[in-house]
Parts: sequence; structure tokens; C-alpha cells
Amino acid sequence: MTIEILFPEVCNLYGDLMNVEYLRRAVPEAEVVKTSLKARPRFLDGDVSLVYISSMTERAQLLARDALMPHLDALKAKIEDGMPVLATGNAMELFIREIVDEGGGATPMLGLFDLVARRAMERRYNGLYLGKFEDMDIVGFKSQFSHAFGGEDVPALFETVRGAGRNPEEKREGIRCKNFMATYVLGPLLILNPPFARYMLRLIGAGDRPPAFEKAAMDAYELRLAEFKDAKRGFTYG
Amino acid sequence: MMRKLRFLLALWLGKCARLALRVLKRNATYFPGVVALKICPDFLGQVGKPENIIAVTGTNGKTTVSNLIADVLTDRGHKVLSNRLGSNVAAGIATTLLSGSSLSGKARYKTAVLEIDERSSKRIYPYLKPKLLVITNLFRDSIMRNAHPEYIASFIEQAVPRETKLVLNADDLISSRIAPENERVYFAVDRMDTDVVECVNLINDLQICPICSGELVYDYRRYHHIGRARCRDCDFKSPEPDYLGTDVDTAAMTMTVTDKQGGRAVYPLLSDSVFNIYNVVTVAAALHEFGLSHEEIAGSLRRTKIVETRYNARQAGNVRVVMQMSKDKNALAGSRAFDYISQLPGEKEIILMMNCMEDQKKWSENTTWLYDCDFEFLAREGITRIVCTGPRAKDYYLRLLIAGVPEEKLRCTMSELDAPDLLAYNPGESVCLFYGTDALDLVYKVQAKIIRCAEEAAAK
Repeated sequence: MTIEILFPEVCNLYGDLMNVEYLRRAVPEAEVVKTSLKARPRFLDGDVSLVYISSMTERAQLLARDALMPHLDALKAKIEDGMPVLATGNAMELFIREIVDEGGGATPMLGLFDLVARRAMERRYNGLYLGKFEDMDIVGFKSQFSHAFGGEDVPALFETVRGAGRNPEEKREGIRCKNFMATYVLGPLLILNPPFARYMLRLIGAGDRPPAFEKAAMDAYELRLAEFKDAKRGFTYG
Repeated sequence: MMRKLRFLLALWLGKCARLALRVLKRNATYFPGVVALKICPDFLGQVGKPENIIAVTGTNGKTTVSNLIADVLTDRGHKVLSNRLGSNVAAGIATTLLSGSSLSGKARYKTAVLEIDERSSKRIYPYLKPKLLVITNLFRDSIMRNAHPEYIASFIEQAVPRETKLVLNADDLISSRIAPENERVYFAVDRMDTDVVECVNLINDLQICPICSGELVYDYRRYHHIGRARCRDCDFKSPEPDYLGTDVDTAAMTMTVTDKQGGRAVYPLLSDSVFNIYNVVTVAAALHEFGLSHEEIAGSLRRTKIVETRYNARQAGNVRVVMQMSKDKNALAGSRAFDYISQLPGEKEIILMMNCMEDQKKWSENTTWLYDCDFEFLAREGITRIVCTGPRAKDYYLRLLIAGVPEEKLRCTMSELDAPDLLAYNPGESVCLFYGTDALDLVYKVQAKIIRCAEEAAAK
């Protein structure tokens, strides 16, 4: 089993990379490949169980986009073939049509999904997230300068229960296309959501292996879930 | 005329607010400025400013550095206006300046040392032209407010006045590149025995060349991205320091600082932590640029003490009780504190209660920082037990398991006041309490209980 982390030298914000470490703890024999901006992605030439890409700076979004652009057709074909991909935080925006800055121009992205992100660098959205993935509750955090709009035909990854979806008015959150999964929810998504980690482990070929430290992870998850379901609790940080 | 009247009204009402708060023994370092800025939005532009302003900003060390600079200048006979007791955002600076001005708004001080919040740069520097701006370093900070260091650097970059001379950390390739057109000097600390080459921290905010995106190679690295580096693919490299700290001797608590003009002096270290070693070099560089000699600076520093609010230790029964503040939701602060405490001599038991209590009251703490923070340092030998407590106790517990701490060393309780009961108080060890910044009353109660438990254990 091979897990490929794309561009960890620039895509490494907010503890996101621990998602891969968490999977590796459950599957110690998994090979973790770290592909730098100047290297050829492993997924182009062989079977990769999961491609992971994490939150990054706005400048890194351009570097990551430029690194993937030459391989766009191959990436599209791999996604169509069902290659598992997980993108967290603003890594999702690599795959959409463009990012439009408030009072500025539009930055074209890879254009695999017909969504447009609107970005306001003076206003950071900070909120909690509660959503559904199949029959699972998903908890998480959002901290971002942009929201995505459009994409009526683009299937969502999560259905929002509380918090912002692709944007504060949307219930649909993220993107799901076969086994490609992208979400604005950032940080240690799999650690915060052991049921979802279990799903990911199955998806990448680990069978029924449990997530690492599952009992402790479930204890923390259930407490957080109860907090996030508490109607009296604020959801957008003021 | 209206503009002047509005300013005077803002000034006088701000002064009245300050007086009233002080009479009521309340904190008068922020609200008076809020009043002044509300009435007169360009209050900072109109209020009299001292002729010589040293501004200090950066992620870590800005409070200590600005306090030390003010202390040395005061020791040398300068009358110094500073915001050491108050806020470092625009309203805090407005409060400081109104307190240092006459009823007509004229500055009553010739010199000011102002700690300035990085994110407030755009609201402050259009009105304030510091003679020197000291930037200690830039690291990843609070995710919600500060996003990432490039974002914070852009705030300073866009606002810093062109005529301000910068005092920059040559060992920090993020902050040292700010405002390249400004006159500048660099400080650094020479290679130390504890340096490494590869990064051992989770946070490493500069891994590629900012010019060509090539790989950065470190000659030595102190921690995170701090160190001396060069690009493998182009000629980009760390700037040469104008002030260099050498011969760091933590036993004698001294360091030599040399400058490019051949000046050289032995400086006292005020603490053995690497942060404080940097703080001394930073102060030496800033004050030498201000016009003081090394002998004057070093002499005054010898008469100065750091007000250590973040770390203190005392004996209780047969154990040493160590209080270590670790700014809540701040992975970098946690990593540095864990690294330092885990390397103290002897065995240690630890209580973790760095929860953000304010967030817990209204929302739920964003805990993503736990996975940026080097909890792995707490898996080091010598740490015999860790008690996780507070509303996020279960998150700490899981994080420590992932960090490699054996389950048998861990305890967990949601009640902070129960946490001291879960320690063993083995004779000769240190009991270390890591705490956040927003629940100090509770922290002191837990500290008191630790001391009581330690004394009871010794009596047995």
C-alpha cells in the first residue's frame, strides 16, 4: 500500500499532515511517499492507494497548481478510474475553476470541478463544522479566507448540519467524485472522526483494520459531537 | 478647526476615561484609546509622538524585548514612554500616546518603546514613524487570527514606513526579507552545540527557496525554520549578521556580542532558554543602533531582570513545582515549552491544562493546533506521568498516544481540580503545570492544590 503526500514542503498547514500519519499507524506497512514540487508525482506511474494534499498558503496554491498542471489529463483520468484522493482545507481550491479575489483579479486553477472560490484576505471565516457523510456524523473546524460558489452539478462530500458548507449559505460541503474527496474542513479530519477514518482505511485497501487508538479517538469524537450538537453553542467564532 | 476640536475632545475624554478607570483600580491600558479612536479616527495621526520611537513586533519575544529595551534606556537616564502594562493593538497604542501627552496633545516624552501587534500594523504605522522597528521573528501562530506567517509578514510589509530602519533576525528567513527597500541591520546567534540540521519539529514554515522554490539546505538549524540556510538551486541565502551572538555559556550565563564595526562585549544571559538568548542579541542590536555603546547596554542589562510570568519554580514538600505558561491555541509556544521542560534535569510529572476556556464558554476550542505542536517531546525519558485535564482532556490524551507516550503514563480527568490527585509526588522530581492564558484564577487554584498535595505526600 502506498500513500502519496503531494508537496508537503508547502502543503503542511494546520496539522493536516497528521491525517496520513494516523492512517499509517493503522497500517504500519504502508509506504508513505512525499512528492516535492519539482518531482514527478508517483500516482502517474503506478498504483497509489491514496493521494493526500493538505492546507497551504495562498502562494503555495499557485506553486501546487503549476506542479499539477502538466499532469492534468492524467490526473483527470486517474480520478475517473477511482483513485482515492483526499484534499483538506484550501487544497480543495486547486481542483476548481478559479479563485476570485475581492477587489482583484481571478486566478485560474486546475478546473476539474466547476466551482469558483471568492476570497477576501481581510476577512477570515472561523467556524465549527457538523455534517453527514453517508450515515456518519462528521465534526471539524474551518478557518479560511474564501468560500466556494456554483457547482450545482458537482456532488458534495458532506451534507452540512451546522456551520458553513461550500459557503455559509450552502448545505453542500466539499466535492466528491468517485473516490476523489475534497473539503474545506481542515486539520486532523480523520483523527477527529474515527468512523470516517475507518471508511478511509477500507477505501485504501486496509480492510477492517481499526483506526489507531480507536477507543481514545471515539471518546474524544463523542464528546465533541455532543458539544457540536448542543444548540446553545456558537458555531461561528466572533 | 473642527478636526482639531474633535481631536482635543477625543484626547480629553480619553484622559478622563483613563483617570476614572485608574481611580476604580481597573485596567486603563485599552479602553481610553478605544474612546479616543471612536471620537477621532485619526487620533494616532494627531496626538503628539515622541521624537524617537523604537517599535518591537514579531511572533515571539516582543514583550520581553520591548521591556528590556525600555529598562535599559530608563537605566541610562532616558524618560521612556512604553505600553509595557497594556495593549499592543491600535487602541492600546492610542492609550499609551494619550497618557504621554499634555492637555494640548503635545508629547511629554522624547523616547518611546512600543510593542506592536503584527496584525495591527496597518492601523498604526500610517500614523507612527518609528526610528527603529525590531522584528523578533515570524512563526505560525493562532490559526484563526494569523493564518500563516506569510500572511502576517504581508501586514507588516504593506505598512512599515519607508524611513524606518529595521532590526531583523538573520536566522529567520521569513521576517528578515520584509521591506527589502528599507535600511536594515541583522542580528543572529552563532552555531550552538544544540543545533541540528534536519528539522525535528512539526512546524517548519520555510522549506523552499522564496525566490526559485528550490530546496533550502540548512548549515545549522536551531528549531523550526530558525537557522542559517541557503538554496541548493540559486544564490539565495541567509543574510550576513551585523550583530552576532557567540560563545553562549549557559553555565556562566554569558554571551559575547560582536558587531561589524569591531565592537564586542560580554553580555549577561537573563535565562538559559534559546528564546531568551535571542532576546539579548536583539536588544543589543536595537540599542546599539539607537546610539548606546555595548558597555552601556551590557551594564544596564546586568541590573535588569526579566519579569518571568511564563515560567517559575518553587519547592513544595519533596518536589519542585514548575509553572509553565503556554499560550493557548498556539502550537509554537507549546512546542518550545515542551522542549524546554522535557529537558530539565530529573524526573518530571506533568499536568496539561492549556485549554482555551473562553472558547469553551461560547463555542468549542479549535484543536487543530494540537497536531502542529510537538507533543512528541513529552514522550522523552524522564517524564513519568502526564495528567490531561480540562474540557479538551480527551483530545490531549489521544494526541499524547499518537505522540508515542505509553498509555500507562497517562491519566485523564475533565475536572482541573482533580488533576493534582492523580500525581505521585515522587521525592526529587519536578511537577510541571502547563497552563493557558485565559483562566489564571483556576490555574492558581490548581497550583495551590499541587503544593498542598506535595506537602502532604512529604509529610507521609
